[in-house]
Amino acid sequence: MRANEDQLRAWMVGGLDGVAADHACLLRALVPILSAFYSRRVFASDDIEDLVQETLIAVHSRRATYDRDRAFTAWLFSIARYKMIDHFRRSRSVVPIEELEDILMVEGFEASSGARLDIEDLLGTLPAKQARMIRATHIDGATVAEAAAASGYGESDVKVSIHRGLKALAARIRGSET
Amino acid sequence: MNTDQLIDSLASDVKPVRRSALGARLGFGMLIGALVSAALVIMLLGARPDLASAMNGFAFWMKWTYTLSLSAIAVYATAQLARPNPGNLRVLWLIAIPVTLLAGVGVLELAHTPPGEWLAMWLGSSWSKCPWYVFGLAMPIFIGLLWSFRRLAPTRLRAAGAAAGLAAGAFAATVYCLHCPEVSAIFVLTWYTLGILLAASLGALVGPRLLRW
Repeated sequence: MRANEDQLRAWMVGGLDGVAADHACLLRALVPILSAFYSRRVFASDDIEDLVQETLIAVHSRRATYDRDRAFTAWLFSIARYKMIDHFRRSRSVVPIEELEDILMVEGFEASSGARLDIEDLLGTLPAKQARMIRATHIDGATVAEAAAASGYGESDVKVSIHRGLKALAARIRGSET
Repeated sequence: MNTDQLIDSLASDVKPVRRSALGARLGFGMLIGALVSAALVIMLLGARPDLASAMNGFAFWMKWTYTLSLSAIAVYATAQLARPNPGNLRVLWLIAIPVTLLAGVGVLELAHTPPGEWLAMWLGSSWSKCPWYVFGLAMPIFIGLLWSFRRLAPTRLRAAGAAAGLAAGAFAATVYCLHCPEVSAIFVLTWYTLGILLAASLGALVGPRLLRW
């Protein structure tokens, strides 16, 4: 089973505190994660092993750049992405345009799953009815009429809920930026 | 070497890393560089003879406030860019504050000076050398920062190089104040800033090459 963010981060912090066993656990757990990361993007297995090793060395020797208050996997994948780009530059290889779409989709997946988490967090701050109506119409793509029929509320009631909910979200986002 | 052996050898060398390790490393590189720059100023240019009395005056502290606040902002940005996933860089907009304040002082000075003397005030006695001194004195500090970066992990190399150059230039200007006898705000705003920008440009130019890892 793949280790998750919390487990990896705990090991990382243990390693930073000087616990060699935690550090070893971390590096071992990173091997499958990094192999998967690179095999989706690089296409020769020798290169993948080299890249995994280089990344492990970087994670080890540059661990002072990890900020304990921030996500571990974001830090890890930033290093992995840098190593991959550096690899392409060194080998002067050109990524074929047909495969580029896959790469972009994989990259997009990370961003969109991050955005989805943010949305769920934000919707969680609204009253349940408003959150449900926004989810139905703006995320799942139902029309107002469909959402009204499915929930048993009147259409204008649904519209008002959505309107108030979006307004509250907008205010909240503006508030958290300043 | 296979991956398991690599992991064993890496895990046999696990020293504790403190939270402040990144800042300490950048600070150390900068400090060593700054000491070299200060030694160069004192040996080659000489400290200004009236340094002690100048330190009681407004102009000296105006210059230091300007260069030190630029240094602080640039060092903060450099520390962000030393991480593979840089955090927020909007702090760089703060640079507008010291620049605006110094420009404000400059306008006041101009208002109190007859227009016939404006040019002399702007050029001072060292305008043609000042930017180059600042730029030259930035080099030891920049090299110190390059040393710091050898254990750090920048991924936006050009931006990281520019930030390091800016920090080196701004701090070099601070050191150069030990020598420079100029007193006018518009002089500092033009020629100091020019030297600092030269250092930042050099950093942006060589960053992608020298900061690779």
